[in-house]
Amino acid sequence: MSESRTTTVLIAALGGEGGGVLAGWLVDAAGRAGHWVQQTSIPGVAQRTGATTYYIEIMERAEGDDRQPVMGLTASPGNVDVMVASELLEAGRALENGFVTPDRTTLIASTHRIYAIAEKSAMADGRYDAERVRRAAEQMAARQVLFDMRAEAERANTVINAVLFGAMAGANVLPLPREAFEDAIRSGGIAVEANLAGFDLGFRMAQGERPAGATESTTVSDDDGLDDRTLTDRINRNLPGMLQELAREGARRLIDYQGVGYARFYLDRLEAMVKADAARGGTSRSYAVSREVTRRLAVWMAFEDLIRVADLKIRPERVARVRAEVKAAADEPVMITEFLKPGVDEVASLLPPAMGRWAIGLADRAGVRYRLNVGMHVSSTRIRGFLPMWLLSRLKGWRPRTLRFAEEQDRIDRWLAVITDALEADYDLAREIVVAGKVVRGYSDTHRRGIRNFHLLMDAVPACKSARPPARAFRTLLDAALSDPEGDALDRALAALRGEKAAA
Amino acid sequence: MAERSFKKEVELLRLGDGDTFEGEGILAVTKALLQSGVSYVGGYQGAPVSHLMDVLNDARPIMDELGVHVETCASEAGAAAMLGASVNYPVRGAATWKSTVGTNVASDALSNLASAGVTGGAMIVIGEDYGEGSSIIQERSHAFAMKSQIWLLDPRPNLPSIVKMVEQGFELSEASSTPVMLELRIRACHVHGRFATKDNRRGTFSGQNRIADPSFDYGRICLPPSTYVQEKDKIERRWPAAVNFIRDHGMNEVFDGTADDVGIVCQGGMYNAVIRALQQIGLADAFGESAVPIYCLNVTYPLVPSEVTAFCASKRAVLMVEEGQPSYLEDAVNTILRKSDVQTRVMGKGLLPMAGEYTGEAVLHGVARFVEGAVPKGVDLAPVLQRYQQIVDAKAKAVRLLGEPIPTRPPGFCTGCPERPVFSAMKLAEQKVGKFHVSADIGCHTFSTLPPFNIGNTVLGYGLGLASSTGIGPNMDRRVVSVMGDGGFWHNGLTSGVANAVFNDDDGVLVIMNNGYTSATGHQAIPSSVKGGGIRSGAFQPDGQDIERALRGVGVKWIRHVRTYSVSKVIGTLRDAMTTKRGGLKVIIADGECQLARQRRIKPEASAKVKAGNRVVRTRFGVDEDVCTGDHSCIRLSGCPSLSVKPTSDPLRDDPVAHVNNDCVGCGLCGEVSHAAVLCPSFFKADIVRNPGRLDRWRQGLRDRVIGRLSRSSNPSRQENAA
Repeated sequence: MSESRTTTVLIAALGGEGGGVLAGWLVDAAGRAGHWVQQTSIPGVAQRTGATTYYIEIMERAEGDDRQPVMGLTASPGNVDVMVASELLEAGRALENGFVTPDRTTLIASTHRIYAIAEKSAMADGRYDAERVRRAAEQMAARQVLFDMRAEAERANTVINAVLFGAMAGANVLPLPREAFEDAIRSGGIAVEANLAGFDLGFRMAQGERPAGATESTTVSDDDGLDDRTLTDRINRNLPGMLQELAREGARRLIDYQGVGYARFYLDRLEAMVKADAARGGTSRSYAVSREVTRRLAVWMAFEDLIRVADLKIRPERVARVRAEVKAAADEPVMITEFLKPGVDEVASLLPPAMGRWAIGLADRAGVRYRLNVGMHVSSTRIRGFLPMWLLSRLKGWRPRTLRFAEEQDRIDRWLAVITDALEADYDLAREIVVAGKVVRGYSDTHRRGIRNFHLLMDAVPACKSARPPARAFRTLLDAALSDPEGDALDRALAALRGEKAAA
Repeated sequence: MAERSFKKEVELLRLGDGDTFEGEGILAVTKALLQSGVSYVGGYQGAPVSHLMDVLNDARPIMDELGVHVETCASEAGAAAMLGASVNYPVRGAATWKSTVGTNVASDALSNLASAGVTGGAMIVIGEDYGEGSSIIQERSHAFAMKSQIWLLDPRPNLPSIVKMVEQGFELSEASSTPVMLELRIRACHVHGRFATKDNRRGTFSGQNRIADPSFDYGRICLPPSTYVQEKDKIERRWPAAVNFIRDHGMNEVFDGTADDVGIVCQGGMYNAVIRALQQIGLADAFGESAVPIYCLNVTYPLVPSEVTAFCASKRAVLMVEEGQPSYLEDAVNTILRKSDVQTRVMGKGLLPMAGEYTGEAVLHGVARFVEGAVPKGVDLAPVLQRYQQIVDAKAKAVRLLGEPIPTRPPGFCTGCPERPVFSAMKLAEQKVGKFHVSADIGCHTFSTLPPFNIGNTVLGYGLGLASSTGIGPNMDRRVVSVMGDGGFWHNGLTSGVANAVFNDDDGVLVIMNNGYTSATGHQAIPSSVKGGGIRSGAFQPDGQDIERALRGVGVKWIRHVRTYSVSKVIGTLRDAMTTKRGGLKVIIADGECQLARQRRIKPEASAKVKAGNRVVRTRFGVDEDVCTGDHSCIRLSGCPSLSVKPTSDPLRDDPVAHVNNDCVGCGLCGEVSHAAVLCPSFFKADIVRNPGRLDRWRQGLRDRVIGRLSRSSNPSRQENAA
């Protein structure tokens, strides 16, 4: 038996990402070098947004040996030399399938994420933990070339498959000279210059260069002062150091939302919570409860009513952000259209509480509460569309007198009271209840369901206290509340909790 | 215009003696057909042989030169019936389709064709859509070959073998008066390789040398008593003739090995996987030199008993590598051996999985376990098993390190797909009229059954959406909604569904997705396709082949056209159809051109306009991160690939926010859904004007001044990045 071996390359890509072009380049390059090469793929519906693979085998032709090798049509675990993945989760899938083994596999993958449908349609955060993939890759790959190729490609104005191709060449694992790779791109004849630039970028990275965009910008604003000195002093004086930065961010948010007075109110609530937290051993637990409250309280107090939405949508910096996002050139006008559909609840929410409730009651009795929504396409970059939104945003001063404001404050008070009360019983339980603050969010139906779920959860706290451990019992309910939009899962979980109690 | 063009590649079909072809499997098959002197070809698209239809269509000029007729068939039944040309006349022909679903549709004509027998060679190129990447029920075509006595070729998956089998297949067909099937698995269809070509041959008769006189032979008619004679002829003459031909021409192959007290029998299509598995455990090299002898069945039906016994007689045990179930081949080999009193043990299913694709991994496991149990002579087991264990352990370790299964990526509607809004509308209509049963169909729209929609209670076959509602409809409280694509409509839905529902006065709702092509298979044209692309809504087509006229022709009275992207209108129309007092069939034609095809058409036009300095408006959608609260309801009503999530940049929040990426084609669904569902105000539409005119600029300037002044007056001290 002869000793020559084929080099196997498996490319995992998502439909429409140009994986076919990449495979084609490699076949062309191998052909140019005079090697035996075979490629297969599984197009079909997999190409329609699903995950798909291309498999290539290459073998150097020995001098005077015309025997044709028998090449595989599918990748086999433990038999892949170069594993290429255009996205991190696909690299994970390759690992899961045994296509990355320490004895031979070079893993070349982009670390950016394109979320699978189950990840992105989850009600809260359904994203797969990318660290798992990185950890497994670290141990399983003989060698790895991992970086955010999408970001690099965008920076260099090229496409990701060219960067991948360059990385394949730069990793020095294929029996091909650099020129063969580049000639393959040239013979493709499409966007040659951009592709060659991308190739060069990937090549250099695989040879050990650091990505240009490696320095990540921090998400937390590094401006540590507030315009209002008294608030800054108060935060520094009354709150533990580890909370101060977040509290400043929260206070800043609420000044922007309503005013300094409202931010003070936020700090009043927060300080009370910190006190209760400290009394129940919060100091030794890094103020875990207060820390969560610092964030969630600010977000909740800055609830999104019509006034807020209008305010956010007409800001000059928002127009600038949109222009950047849609990649509009400086001289290109951009028209922005908003989709608003206010109904009875939204209008009533702006009225004083008594009047608002009366209006909702009236609409309820007439059976039209959810049927009077008016769909509006508002062009906020036109004067005609901008004006009403601008006027709406100026109702800020009126906000504390509205029904919505009163209702949200009541809910926030209930939430804080339940947390404080739970702190007496079980610290971990209290921490879970803080997280439950996020179920009240969204707009219209989503918001209504959130309110329903919120109260059901708060009502269930006493029952959870007698469960063991209480925090886990509550967490189960919270997960259920966040698992389906209709709230069926929460109802089932509550029934189960009641059943358990009855059985006990 | 199909999704993939082969205009350049088809030039390879002109290669002749002494040339080398280099390209894809599908194209090699076409070349082999021309080298075999076919006079007619046709078929029905479907992966993995969709591209064969595209190749045939793109090769029309070359086909015309050779006098080969190319027929775009209405269905697989039509394609099989076309092979009737070879019954009476010495003309060769080929048809292709996706199997087993296509073979199911074709089986009436196939039975009759096989019974009558053929004069000219007739070949069916079967795209065996089994295993990874498959979109259909998992069955084998083998059963069809057995029940109708059609010979089944399963060549080794490399181009020279495939081409040789096509050529020999025609000779086999003629030598035994029987049609043959050439089975190609998904990867073989797309395998890229080379072979030495021959000149193309003209058929004895063709479009350029037509048959003068029709031939009549009652013996070829499928009516008694001919049918009795035909059955006997199959068994007494055609079958033995085939077995002799296969043996005499060495269509099956034996590869000797040193460990000849054991052996492996495999389907031709499995050969490379077997070699690779042996290679991985050190028992074969890259050129297929194997220690274990192999008997490779390039013809899997009929078997040649003398070859089977000759290979097995001197061996203690053989492994049968047969993909799919039931285990027809293993059973047949066992029968042959026992009848000739050969006591070789036949291993197969059990060591190898009974069901499912024989991936590299499955074959590796099977072969390793066979070697372990059979202990071939001269093979040192220790290193073999060590290599095997190393592979198994590595995979287990990776799974352990990951700790959690990787989320799947099921196929779904493309960015901007016109069918998605219809299912968004159904989800929302459910909230108004209550949940209803949906009879789904085959096509891109079958993706509605997957997340995030999960709409569609049954799928019974192509074009059968409406037909499959007839039993359940009268038994349901609410009207049943059936879905059908325009492809399925012309394939058979018009008759099996629509005409029949009218005939029976069935009360139901049918939604026809009019996207202009058979889109799932790669945009092949159908009768209602518009030349040059696009779709026509509401207006009759000049050539008369439009859906609405067909519906009226078979007596449908309640017909509504609706633009799919107008979600509110679709909801309203659905509600009308569900609640109207009028009985009978209600048909909603949902108009929206396949976005893939549309983008392919309009993108070059738009970029040409931009280049020429003309004003072009580009539309896309976006999400205001600070308005989005991160509950993702919008995604659950859409699932668009361009609508995803991204980490929030707000230090006070944790859940990811919705985000529209730059693939957005501005189809408008996001805005429609946020309206129809009263969802949330975070979506916006941005119209970007390329090459703005003077008026654009003047208006923009005015707006900037007025809006800028108002903004400043409203809050001069506003902080940057407040949100």
